[in-house]
Amino acid sequence: MDPTTAMYIAQGIHGLAYGMILFLVASGLTMIFGMMDILNLAHAAFFMLSAYFCYQFLTMTGNFWAALLLAPVATAFFGILMERFLLRRIQAFGLMSQLILTVGVSLVILAGVKIFWGTESLPVKVPPFLSGLVMIAGMEYPVYRLFIIAMSLVVLAIMALLLYKTRLGKIVRAAVSDAGMVNALGINVPLVSTFVFGVGIWLAGVAGVAIAPILMVFPGLEAQMGMDAFVVVITGGFGSLKGAFIVSLIFGLLSSYGVQFVSALAPVLMFAFMAIVLAIRPMGLFGERE
Amino acid sequence: MRNKKVQGILWVGLIVILTLYPKIFGIYYTNLFLTFAIFAIYSVSFNLLLGYTALFSFGHAMFFGVGGYGTALALKHIAGLSLLGALGIGLLGAIVLALILCPIVVRVTGAAFAMLHLAFGQLMYVLALKLRNITGGEDGIGGFPIPPFSIPGIISINMKDPANFYYFAITVLGVSLWIMWFFTKTPFGQIQVGVRDNAMRIEYLGFKVPQTRAVVYVVAGAFAGVAGSIFALFQNLISADGGLGILVSFGAIINTLVGGMGSFLGPVWGAAIMQIIQEVTTRYTDRVELVEGLILILIILFAPMGFVGFLRWAKQNLFTKTAAKAKLEKVS
Repeated sequence: MDPTTAMYIAQGIHGLAYGMILFLVASGLTMIFGMMDILNLAHAAFFMLSAYFCYQFLTMTGNFWAALLLAPVATAFFGILMERFLLRRIQAFGLMSQLILTVGVSLVILAGVKIFWGTESLPVKVPPFLSGLVMIAGMEYPVYRLFIIAMSLVVLAIMALLLYKTRLGKIVRAAVSDAGMVNALGINVPLVSTFVFGVGIWLAGVAGVAIAPILMVFPGLEAQMGMDAFVVVITGGFGSLKGAFIVSLIFGLLSSYGVQFVSALAPVLMFAFMAIVLAIRPMGLFGERE
Repeated sequence: MRNKKVQGILWVGLIVILTLYPKIFGIYYTNLFLTFAIFAIYSVSFNLLLGYTALFSFGHAMFFGVGGYGTALALKHIAGLSLLGALGIGLLGAIVLALILCPIVVRVTGAAFAMLHLAFGQLMYVLALKLRNITGGEDGIGGFPIPPFSIPGIISINMKDPANFYYFAITVLGVSLWIMWFFTKTPFGQIQVGVRDNAMRIEYLGFKVPQTRAVVYVVAGAFAGVAGSIFALFQNLISADGGLGILVSFGAIINTLVGGMGSFLGPVWGAAIMQIIQEVTTRYTDRVELVEGLILILIILFAPMGFVGFLRWAKQNLFTKTAAKAKLEKVS
C-alpha cells in the first residue's frame, strides 16, 4: 500500500477515535437535556475530573482496568450529588439559573483539581498490550486508538440495548417526550432523572479516562472538550442521540483531516459547519423542539 | 415635589462624586472603576436583549469584540484619525455585524437563538485567532496610537493622561447608559416588553414582531460595540480572549443574573458585585475561581432573582412593615 493512502487511513482512525470520545461526552449532555431540560455546562468539568480520578487510581493500584472501572463511577457519584442537592433546588427558576449554577460548579471543580493535583500535565500509562502498533493487512495501526473505538462501540451498544429493549429504557424515552404525563402515570420521574443524570456523567467519565493516556491529564482538558461537545450537541440537535453520534464522527474526521489539509483553519471548519447548519435548521440536524 | 428635589440633589451628588473620583481615590481605583463602568454598559446592552425582549444570547461578546477590533484596526491603519472617529468606526463595525446577523437570528427565539449566538460568537473568536495577519492572533492588536480628544481650533486634550481619559470614557458611557434608558422608556420600548410577554398578542395589535426584535438587536449590539471600543482604547489592546472569548459572553450573563435581569440597572449592580468580588479575592487568595464559583452557586441558591430581587424582597419584608407600624403608632 502506498504511503499516502496509509496516511489517510491513519488520519481516519485518529478522527474516528476522537469522534467516539466526543460522542461519549456529547451523548450524556444531550440525554440530560432531553430528559430534564438542563444545559449542564459542568459536563466537561466532570470529564476532566474523571481523567484526574483515573490518574489517582492508577498511581494507587497500578492497574489501568481498575482505574477504567472506578474513575467514571466515582465521577458519576459527584454528578448525582450535584443533581440531587443543587440542580433540583432551583428547578423552578429555569434555564438561566441552571446555566449559572453549572458554571459555578465547573469553576469549583476546576479550582479543586488545581488544589489537589496542581496545574502541570500528569502522564497516564496504558498497559503494555494496549500501547504500540498492530499490523492488520500490511498496515500499522495504533492499538490504543482502536481500543477506544471498540470500547465506545461496546458502550454504545449497551446504551442502545438499555434504552430500546428494557422497561427502564421505555420509561426514559417516554419521559423525554412528556415528563409530566409519565409522572402522572405513577412513575417516579425525579428518580429516573437522577439515574439518567448519573449515566450521562458516567459516560463523560469513561471518555475522560479514555482520553487521559492520549493527551495526559491537565486542567485545560475541560475547555478543550467542553466547547467541542457543546458544539456537537447543538449541531446534532438537542436531545437527539442519533444527531450527536453522526455529528461527533463528522467533527472527529473534520478535525483530523482538517489539520492535514488546512492546518491553520482546522478549528474554523467545525464552527463554520455549525453556523451553516444552524442558519438553515435552527433546531439542529435532528432536533425536534424549537 | 420634594421627591423631584431629592432626585435633583442625588444627580448633582453623583456627578460631583464622578468628577472628583480620580482626585480622591487615585489612579489605581480610577482604572478599576473604569473597568467596572465598561462592563456595566456592556452588560446593560446585553440585558436590553434578555430582560426587555427575552432574547438570550450566548455570544454577545462578538459585538464587544468587533467594537474593540474596529477601533484598534482603525487607529493602527488610518493616520491622523480623531478619537471620536475611531470610536465611531468601532460602533459602526458592531452595527454592521448586527445588521448582517439580524435577518437570520430574529426568526428564532429561546434555545435556538442562544445556540445560534454561541456558534457565531465562537466563529468570530476562532477567526480572530486564525486570521493572524489582520488581527494579530493570540497577541491581539496592541500599542496603537491614542489620539487626543480635539475639537479643531478650540481644544485638544491629551488622552494618554489616565484622568483625562477617565473623563472622556465616563462621559461616553454615561451618555450611552442614558440613551439606552431613554430607549426603554419610549413607546417602542413598551412594544419591546410586550413582545417579551406575549409576542402573538403584539402581532395581533398590528406591530411587526421580527422587525421589533431586529431594532432592539441592532441597538444592543451597537452599545456593546461602544463598550468594546472604549475598552480597547482604555487598555490600548484588544485580544481574542479579552474581547471575543466565551468568558466575555458569560461575563454579561453572569453580571445580569447576579444583578437581576428584571431591572434596567440590575446588570450595573451585578458588574459592581462581580468586580468587587474579583478585586477582594485576588488580594487575599490565588483561588479566585473557587471563590467565584462558590459565590455563583450561593447566589443562585439563595437569591435566584439577583441582587435587585433581593433588594425588592428586603424592601417588602423588612422596611415596609416597620414603616407601616410607625405610621400606625403615629396615628394612635
